[in-house]
Order: sequence, then structure tokens, then C-alpha cells
Amino acid sequence: FLSFGIQDDHRLSTSQLEEKYGTSIDKGLSSTRAAEILARDGPNALTPPKATPEIVKFLKQMVGGFSILLWIGAVFSWISFGIQLAQGAESAFDNLYLGVVLAVVVILTGIFAYYQEAKSTNIMASFSKMIPQQALVIRDAEKKEMPADQLVVGDIVEIKGGDRIPADIRLIAAQGCKVDNSSLTGESEPQSRSCDFTHENPLETRNIAFYSTTCVEGTATGIVINTGDRTIIGRIASLASGVGNEKTPIAIEIEHFVYLVAGVAISIGVLFFIISVSMRYKILDSIIFLIGIIVANVPEGLLATVTVSLSLTAKRMAKKNCLVKNLEAVETLGSTSIICSDKTGTLTQNRMTVAHLWFDNQIYSADTSEDQTTQPFDQSSPSWTALSKIVTLCNRAEFRPGQENLPIMKRVVVGDASETALLKFAEVVLGDVMNIRARNKKVAEIPFNSTNKFQLSIHETDDPNDKRFLLVMKGAPERILERCSTIMINGKEEPLDSEKAEAFQTAYMELGGLGERVLGFCHLYLPENDFPDTYTFDTDSMNFPTSNLCFVGLLSMIDPPRSTVPDAVSKCRSAGIKVIMVTGDHPITAKAIAKSVGIISATSETVEDIAKRLNIPVEQVNRQEATAAVVNGMELKDMSLQELDEILCNHSEIVFARTSPQQKLIIVEGCQRQGAVVAVTGDGVNDSPALKKADIGIAMGIAGSDAAKNAADMVLLDDNFASIVTGVEEGRLIFDNLKKTIAYTLTKNIAELCPFLIYIIASIPMPIGTITILFIDLGTDIIPSVALAYEKAESDIMNRRPRNKKKDRLVNEQLAIYSYLQIGIMQSVGAFVTYFTVYAEQGFLPSTLLGVRVDWENNAINDFEDSYGQQWTKYQRTYLQWTGYTAFFVSITIQQVLYLTGSWWDKNMYY
Amino acid sequence: MSKETKKPFRQSVAEWRQFVYNPNSGEFLGRTAKSWGLILLFYLVFYGFLAALFTFTMWVMLQTLSNDIPKYRDRISSPGLMISPKPDTALEFYFNKSDAQSYAEYVSTLRKFLETYDDSKQSQNINCTPGKVFDQNDVAVKKACRFNLSELGQCSGKEDKTFGYSKGTPCVLVKMNRIIGLKPEGEPYIQCTSKEPGAVEINYFPSGGLIDLMYFPYYGKTLHAHYLQPLVAVQLAINSNSTNEEIAIECNFSAFKPGVRTSKYETASCCRCCFKLP
Repeated sequence: FLSFGIQDDHRLSTSQLEEKYGTSIDKGLSSTRAAEILARDGPNALTPPKATPEIVKFLKQMVGGFSILLWIGAVFSWISFGIQLAQGAESAFDNLYLGVVLAVVVILTGIFAYYQEAKSTNIMASFSKMIPQQALVIRDAEKKEMPADQLVVGDIVEIKGGDRIPADIRLIAAQGCKVDNSSLTGESEPQSRSCDFTHENPLETRNIAFYSTTCVEGTATGIVINTGDRTIIGRIASLASGVGNEKTPIAIEIEHFVYLVAGVAISIGVLFFIISVSMRYKILDSIIFLIGIIVANVPEGLLATVTVSLSLTAKRMAKKNCLVKNLEAVETLGSTSIICSDKTGTLTQNRMTVAHLWFDNQIYSADTSEDQTTQPFDQSSPSWTALSKIVTLCNRAEFRPGQENLPIMKRVVVGDASETALLKFAEVVLGDVMNIRARNKKVAEIPFNSTNKFQLSIHETDDPNDKRFLLVMKGAPERILERCSTIMINGKEEPLDSEKAEAFQTAYMELGGLGERVLGFCHLYLPENDFPDTYTFDTDSMNFPTSNLCFVGLLSMIDPPRSTVPDAVSKCRSAGIKVIMVTGDHPITAKAIAKSVGIISATSETVEDIAKRLNIPVEQVNRQEATAAVVNGMELKDMSLQELDEILCNHSEIVFARTSPQQKLIIVEGCQRQGAVVAVTGDGVNDSPALKKADIGIAMGIAGSDAAKNAADMVLLDDNFASIVTGVEEGRLIFDNLKKTIAYTLTKNIAELCPFLIYIIASIPMPIGTITILFIDLGTDIIPSVALAYEKAESDIMNRRPRNKKKDRLVNEQLAIYSYLQIGIMQSVGAFVTYFTVYAEQGFLPSTLLGVRVDWENNAINDFEDSYGQQWTKYQRTYLQWTGYTAFFVSITIQQVLYLTGSWWDKNMYY
Repeated sequence: MSKETKKPFRQSVAEWRQFVYNPNSGEFLGRTAKSWGLILLFYLVFYGFLAALFTFTMWVMLQTLSNDIPKYRDRISSPGLMISPKPDTALEFYFNKSDAQSYAEYVSTLRKFLETYDDSKQSQNINCTPGKVFDQNDVAVKKACRFNLSELGQCSGKEDKTFGYSKGTPCVLVKMNRIIGLKPEGEPYIQCTSKEPGAVEINYFPSGGLIDLMYFPYYGKTLHAHYLQPLVAVQLAINSNSTNEEIAIECNFSAFKPGVRTSKYETASCCRCCFKLP
């Protein structure tokens, strides 16, 4: 298991413990001593992960990815401004404004993104407000209620059913104590705790209860041996902080895009620098051209567009119960190729429910859906009547009062998981259970304990003519059967012969094989003669028969899968996503759930299944034939990384059972080694390292612990696996849409760059100015780009395989070439036609324009002659030049609109 | 966690070489010759088509234009003024009357400029009626009015070959930009002012800086090939008492005498000239 060196307190005797911690079991610590220890060790609470200062978060939004590109653009503009100002050029201030606008864009977008993330952080924060935990402590020989964070090592605490264990505790006394370790190990089965030293491993031994686990039933007293971060759970939580955060796929894509744009910008820039130098431009002018070209390549509007698109998607996902903490994670889910899902709570409903019944030699299935109101199985048999009576009466669980208006499944019950399941089951089938119990008054009761392994109660019957007492009993099926001599078949008691016992065994094995918890039920009507009305039952001396009873039936329970999960899993499948179950639960239960939700499909077999079918030893089975695999944590421990890789590679359907938090981490790493983008779901503290390690960690909003939510990138507000599928769809959609946005944005980039290049080479009057370009990039083009984020998904979006990280880039060669060399050039040609038209209609025929740059821009020339012999002053020429800007601007804008409209018709042009 | 191990340098060079030319598959820069050929062909056809489209559109556009007058003249509603000679850089004259070299360029420029106004070149031009707009809308062949150099008086270059520069009374010719169809009303004239009154005395030829209406309107390069735009010579007599080394002159065009302001061609300011004296 974990390699944490926990002290060997579980071996020590009570007196040794008292000595070690300087405490007394009866009196506890003295207040002064406790205060001293508290000062030394600090409060008993997990240190929250170091929060990044808000200012750092804010600044982080300002750098990285696109922002860098824009910053570089801004700095270059300012350099250019400086040079031009020194030269005394007239239009120098354009560059200053350009730089300022670029900076403002980055800052505003940063503020926006920061605001978005802060908003989802706030939603998260509202979840984590919990009532401070209280603990019952003996100090100064007095019992005191005090906040759990005041506990120190050596304190004597008392716990009872329903409490959360306030620290790591060595038990010194226990009565029927059971703890739910699921938050630590993921195992949903409650485990009994006593004061006996049962195992060398402190994590396996029964006499230690761990911080953050829950005491399900019974009472116990113990000495606090670890507090705060030194507890087991604290150490697991600190594992998470040691795991580095991965770069999100979209961040990698954007980086790639930035390189691409920078590459294009610098290549064109240098090329034209060389050209302009060889055309005898001044070096300084050439440098200004170089900078101009580089800056012109910066897609000013894209940063804002991408941020807005991502946050729109994040908003949409939040509506569908996926809360995204980090904007970039919005897309990650879309590129996910493996989902490592926790079982309890995510795939299942996280509550025991009756799944099967066995009576009259037949297995019946019960409805396990979340909102059951009736049970469809055949209820006409008298055996069922008898069984239902036992189920109803031999049960200590009760509904909390005042919930009559709630659906049965939603009502809160006092009692353990199995009894709760039975109570709700009975309530659904029979109606008012409390009333039935009231009519069949309980006269005696023996609660369940681990030595008896049964629970028994004796009731008066509600039949006024029948004065007999009814003894009802439930418990471990084999123990119950031992006490029976008859069995009820179709309402009649029949002797329990070997054939019937065989049938029982078969049914028991079958239900057990489904991973279900099976309970046996039997009853006995006590003869009126021996047990008259006035008879006093004594549960200690057991003055009533507990053998030769009549066996009635079996009920099996399971934590059933959520009804939406099988569909979601199959959707993941068709979307090419591998779903791996990683759970702390038993392999059998895990496999059963995996089968019922489709993680292991109906037709596939594990190595063990094949061995069983062919009746050969497991070793002889050809491992390639098995598509599914159920791997136990113990096996995993002995595996080398290669073996793990092999399993991950060769089997398409994998279940990992009985895994520890560290193993979860290993599994995630293994998947990532395969080049997969891994999503991990989890709720417990134990999941937090894996959540952090994953490309996208998904925490449960309702059941999830704070540690898990902190480590995750996304929170499922409804704890429902099906929401992940929505997330995947949205993620893929945003990737597609971003592709469209970028194609759209890059296109006009060329149309904006070309004029500058032609201006340099052909020395024509400047076709479009910096400010005009900014108007396009940050004005007219922003809204259509954002509109692309609203594009509906293509119909096959969930039938495609997840994109290949290495091959399916956000911006690939094809898209760049398509945008730059095809559409971009077309737009440039179109815009130049308008440009030349405007000049020609004003008197400057295209032939007159070539090579005029120097005279055109000369302030001293006020009689510049056009093609018709008219003469223009400098101001008039500038005015005409502005008209040309407008023409160019309008032309690009219209062409962009056309392009956008066209992209609706040709949906597949981006792939 | 991508633990990218750095490739040895030799290997990456080999990979690059493989990328540039792969002898096994015959790939050059990742593509075979055929593939490159197809790509080139595609772009050749594509760009060829675009070029054709561009040319065609331009041709159609040019067909819609008249040869004689531009379609729109709204960007030049008022005429600008320009002077000759025009110094290379800004409109700054710098000369020393005792140093012939310092103004030789101005003189030669003026001389060259006035060549087109030489009588021999104006043989086809007619003498028009002064004071009246010379409307030739109905005439197919537009005539040009004669501009007599003698109107420039001392600045005509006939008496003083240095246009007054040698005497410290430099001449500058002011002309109004040609604009097709422009018909000034009233009595247009050019007036120049100095920032420092009294520092310079300004003489105009023709006197009063008047521009005769008969030179308007202009019908464009093709129809009105021999058109000569009217000139006004401005002679500056710099006051010898002036201590200023720099004299700034600003000339304005006005269609009307001060006080009567109704025309749309009201004023057009021009060139602030600056004379730097030694």
C-alpha cells in the first residue's frame, strides 16, 4: 500500500500508549498540556493548498500564448515609433497608437479572462463552506464538545455512528464500530473497527481509524495519534501538491499557432527587408518596413476572440453542470482519449439499493433506477408476502420525520446502508412501513453483530385472530440457512433437502458473482402454546428458538449504476474515448458495475473468463484474445511499467480494482505514456494527486472533497458521469469553432499585409492604414469571429475519434496555406480592385500610381499631376489616400462577410 | 510529463538531411517531385486565374471611365497654389545675391519652366477676350489662350536674366493648380503677405496679382493639350534695413476682392515660402 512510515502505535498496549503520549485514558490531557501541544503541532486541519496570489493569477493572464505575440507586436510598434519620430516622419504616431492598442487589448482580455476564472472560483468557494466539525473530547477528566481543529496528539476522543473521525485515532474501546473508508481507499463497504491489533500494516489493522473517514455505526473511544497534515489523508493530500500541472492541449496548440504566425511574420519580414534594401531603400526605412510587416502579421483580435469563445463555452458547460475552473480546460475534455473514472458516486448512485430477490427458487430483478416509484417484479406469490414482512420488520432503519412529501428515494434515513436500502425498497413496494411496524409491535430484538452475523426481532402480528408471535431474522445467507430446516416455496413450508440447498447455493453464488451484497431472510411463527401473549422474551438468555426456522428468500443489494451512465459510456465509446474504471472497491463488484454500465461490453471477456469457459488454467489463455481486463491493486503493485503499458495497450476495456491513490497516479501516468489525453474523475482526497496529474481532473461537486475540487480543473455540479459527455461534446465543438475562427482571422491578415508589401515593392500610395486595420481586427471582425463560437456542432462530432495530439493541430499547414495563400490572396486581389477603382475614378489611373511613393508623400509637392492633367496638393492627395483606405477597408469587410456566409455552406472545408 | 530527451546533434542533422532530400522515396522537402509539380501547377493555374480575373475586372472598370475627364472631382474642389522655382527640400529659399552659385539653380529652374510659355511654343494659342470665362463646351477642339510672358514684367526673365536674384529682389512664380472644369467667379487674384510687415515689399505681375478669367475652365490633358495655366509673378524687394535673416511669405488665392465673399472657390492658401537671407 502506501509507503508512508506511520508509527507503530497499533502494536502498543493501552498503557504504553498512555505513556507515549503523556495522557490518561480516563482523564485525558490537561488543558494546559493540550494548549502546549497545540502550539507545537498547530491546529488539526489540512493546510489548504498554497493559493496563488490574486495579482500573480492576474498577471498570468497577461502573458503566455497569444498575449506574448501581442506584447512583442506592441514593443516593435513602439520601437518603430521611436525611429520614425527621430526621423521626423509624419505618420509616426500611428505606430504609437498601434502599440497602445495592442497593449490595451492584452490588458483588457487579461482582465476579462481573470474575471471569468474568478467567477468560477467563487462558485467553487460557495461549495466548500462547511459547518466546522465538532469532536467529543475528554480533557481535565471532563467530556467536552470542542471544534475538531483544536484536537492534539494524546487527546482521548469518543466517536459514535454518523460522526466524521476527527483525526487519526488508535482505538482503545469499541462497540460494534464500523467505519466507511471510502474517502481514503475508495472502498464503499463499511469496515468494522475494534481495539485489537490485527495486521502488521497500520492501514489494514482494525484498531486505527483515520481522519476524514466516517463512523457508520457503533461507538468507540480512542487516542489521537496524528493530527492535521501528519494524518494519512493529510499526507495523501500533500502528494497532490508535489504533482506538476500539465500544459493544457489548447495551450500547446496556441503556442504552436504563435510559432507558426511568428515564423510567417519573420520570414516575410526578412524577405522584404532584403528586397527593400536591394531596392535602395534606406536601411532605417527597411527596418521600419520589417517591423511593420511583423506587426501586421499579429492577429490583434484573435486573443480577445479566443478568450470570449472559451468563456462562452465555459458558460454553456456550466449550464450543463460542468463548471470549468480554468478557461483552457474547456477544450481539454474535447481532446480526451481516455477517461479514468472513479466508480462510487460517479458511475454509481452511491447508495445501496435492492437489485435482486430470490424466492420460490427464482431470481427476480428489482428496479434500481434513481426515481423508482413501483417495483415491476411478480408480487403475487405468498412467499413474497412473507419475505416482505421480514424485510419490513427485521430492520432498524427509520425515515427522519417530516419528509412525507419527498420522493422515497430522496428521503433521509437513519441507519446503515443495507438497512436503508431495505427500508426504501419496502416503502416503495408496500407503502407506509412505519405504520406496518406499528401494527406489528416489536417485543424483542437482537441487533446485528459480527459474531452472530444475523439480526433478529420478534413481533406481535397484525392479524387479530393470530395470537402467535412472529420471529424474523436476516443475515449472512449461509448463517441463516444453517438455522433453517424448512424452506418456503409458493407460500408452503417444505423440508430443506439437499436439492433445495443446492438451488440456494446456486442462487447465492450467482448473486454474489454479480458483485452484490446478499442477505438471507427467514422467519418462524412461535407456537401459541409455548409462547403466550404474556411471555417475556430475554435476548441475553435467548429463551426462544433460533434454529429450525423457515427460510424464505434472499435479497441482494448493490450500489447501482446511475441510469444515465450506460448511455454516456456508449457515447464515449463511439466518440473513440476509452473509459477505464479505477476503484478501490472489490474486483467482483467493480467488474459487475463495469459490465452493467458497458465499460466491459457484454461480449468481451477477461483472461479469467476465457479460462473459465475453456476450463483451462489462466496461464494457458492467449492474452491477446481477451479484450477486457480486471486488474487488482495487488497485481498492479508487482507490475513493471512495461507490463502496465502492455495492459493499457492490449485491452480496450479495463477495470482497476482495489487501487491505492498512488496506483491511480501510476495508471494515469501510464495512460499519458501512451500519448493519450487523460481525464480523471474523482471525489475523495485520495484522488487529488491523480486529478492533478491528469490532463483534466474532474471533481464531483456534491460528493467531492475540497482537496479534490482544488486539484481538479473541472467540477461536475451534479456528480453525473453523463455530464462529462456533454463536456466532451462542447470541448470538441470549441476546438472546431476555434479552427474556424482562426481560419477566418488569418484570412484577412494577408489582405491587410499585402497592401504594405505592394506599397514597398511597387511604390504605390499606401492602400490601407494602421488605424483602419485596427478597425477591422478589433471592430468589424470581432463580432463575426465570436459568432463562430456559437456554431452548432457537426452531426458527426461525437462519432469521430478524439483528435491526435500530434497530428490534428488547431492550426495546421493546410489551414494556414488555405487562409494565407488561397483565400487571403483572393481577398487581396479583390481589395486591390476597389483600391484602384477609387483612384482611377478620381483621376489616377493604375499606370500613374506605380512608383509614385516618394513624390506622393512629399509634403513640398503641391502640384502632383494625375492622369488627366489635374494637379493635387499634398492635403488633397492625403484625403484621397484616406478614401482609398476606406475602400480597402470596406472591401475586406465585405469579403469577410461573404467568406463567413460561404463557410456555412461548406462545412467541411476546415478538415 | 513529456520527458523529451535531447536528440544527439548528428542525428537531428541526419533527420534534416533526410527531410530535405530523401533518397529512398525521392522526396524533396517531404514531397515527391510529382507532388511538388502538382502543387506548383495548382498555384500556377490558381494565381493565373486570379491574375486574369484581376486584369479583366480592371479592364472593365477602366472601360467605364472617360478618357477626357475623371469620373469624380470631389476630392479637389478647390485649387491649390504652387510656386516655381521649388526648392528640393521644403519650401525654403536660401541665397546670397553676391554669390551667383547660390541661386543658379533657382534661375535655371525658372528659365526651364518659362520655356513652355515662350512665344514660339504658343503659336497655336489664340488671344482670348480678357475678363471673361472662355467657355468652349460646345467646341470639339478646345483652344488654349495665349499667356504673354511680358505680363510678368520684371520677372519674365527677359530684362533680368537672373530674375532679380542678383539684385536681392527675387522673383517667384505662383501658379494655380489645374482642375478640370473650374470656373472662378469675380476677379481672382493672388495675394502674398509677410509675417513681418515692412520687412519686405511685394510686387505683383500682372499688377495686383490678378488672374484673368479667360484662362478658365480647363478641359483636361487630352482635350486641352496646349493649355497654359496663368501665372502670377511675385517679386520681393527686401528692405535693406530689415534685421531679419529669415522672411516668411504666405500666398493666398482669392476669387474676390476682400469684402465680397460669396464664391465657393473662396480662398486657397498655399505654400508658405521662406526666404533665408545671408
